[in-house]
Amino acid sequence: MTTVAINNSLGESKLWKPPIVGIVTFVLMLFAIALGHTLMVLIEHWLGHETTYIASIFLGAAGIVLLWYGVKSKNENLQTWIGFLAGLTIWMTWVEFFYMWYGRANWGMVPRMIMSDDGPTVSGTYPEYMVMGATIGLLLMQLCFYTFDKDTRCNMFLWFQKKLGLQEGLGPSTKTAKDRNYAIITFMETIYVTWFCYAWNLLCFDPGLVGAGEFYFAINMASVFVAFVWSGYCFSRLLKFKRISTALRYAIPVGSIFWVSVEVATKWKLFTEIWIHPWDYKIEMTVVFGAFLSLVLLLVLAPKKPSEVGRGRPA
Amino acid sequence: MIRSISLFVLMGFAMLLSNAASAEKLKLPAGMGGVADIGATSCDVFNKMMVIGPLGTKRLLLTWAQGYYHAKSGKTINEIIEAAEKAGQAWDFDSLTGHLVDYCAADPDALTSAAVINLGEQLL
Repeated sequence: MTTVAINNSLGESKLWKPPIVGIVTFVLMLFAIALGHTLMVLIEHWLGHETTYIASIFLGAAGIVLLWYGVKSKNENLQTWIGFLAGLTIWMTWVEFFYMWYGRANWGMVPRMIMSDDGPTVSGTYPEYMVMGATIGLLLMQLCFYTFDKDTRCNMFLWFQKKLGLQEGLGPSTKTAKDRNYAIITFMETIYVTWFCYAWNLLCFDPGLVGAGEFYFAINMASVFVAFVWSGYCFSRLLKFKRISTALRYAIPVGSIFWVSVEVATKWKLFTEIWIHPWDYKIEMTVVFGAFLSLVLLLVLAPKKPSEVGRGRPA
Repeated sequence: MIRSISLFVLMGFAMLLSNAASAEKLKLPAGMGGVADIGATSCDVFNKMMVIGPLGTKRLLLTWAQGYYHAKSGKTINEIIEAAEKAGQAWDFDSLTGHLVDYCAADPDALTSAAVINLGEQLL
């Protein structure tokens, strides 16, 4: 009875069909990235650095508890939301705040400076990001796993497998959609996509690698071009999505790749990062937060296919 | 008198030129953090560095200060602190760097070298 009702509501819905699902999830992802930055700034402000470092241990642990709850669930939509939230939490706490502690407090790194005619100014590449830049080899090593994993369903890695002639050797995937736990998949996706996009930006911003002159400019122009084309291509695919859960998962890389160009634009001071200055832009950030909550609510209340809410999945 | 003033102006001009040249020679590797000459940095910049890299920035200036005090007195910072202890003062990393940080916070227009000199007046 319920399944029929859900099917009917999905079929009758004039709102929740392409391209609305894709647009809403994409915009939600951009808001989520911006608000993630804001949240970190607010935590630092409210708790102070020393307390933040200690609190981040427990906040990260709370993220794992959340993930545990999501992994146990049979509801794909809930799994996706929880995986995403837990991934963001772990990234902010066990990655960014931990690197911050290592860079600023434990190792005593000094900030990277930008030299100009007006004298030195502190660069936006803070010690934690200098540490993060050093993790590129680790990231590439881990991405090798997904490249050579026959069970990966990520379109990018499937494309790699096809181009590298791996598909025959790897054989067919042993897992069907019902075998997959979307909480842990979304969790790992959130972390790896965020890590990849950070590394991408950090490498292109590193004056030790690209200098600060014409090569730096050219590399970052190319970076913006690639980010626009890549995210644009993925966005055009996202617009065709019907299922909320699948669209949410796909919107994570689309939003993050697009954000690479946002980071370049802010590096060039084309606009102000209002999300890291919430005190100066209270009204604007309140509106963004309100819009984010509204989109989350809309997506939570949107009609779902039975397969998204746990029906038809193995017990 | 005029010769002395001319000589003084010439020396100043030569120092300016040599400063510009040495600043260029002292340019840090591009990816490295910090500044080439922390003693010639304004307290305003130092204060901003303190927000992002407090421990490293404090240590950077204290290292500069150790060289300055050694050049002035021929003593290492430990010898200076020990001498100060006998005179009833107690100094450690936190209090030494804390003095420099407080000085710069109070006077952002000053150079960090002024903070070091001010601390030196209490130590030496």
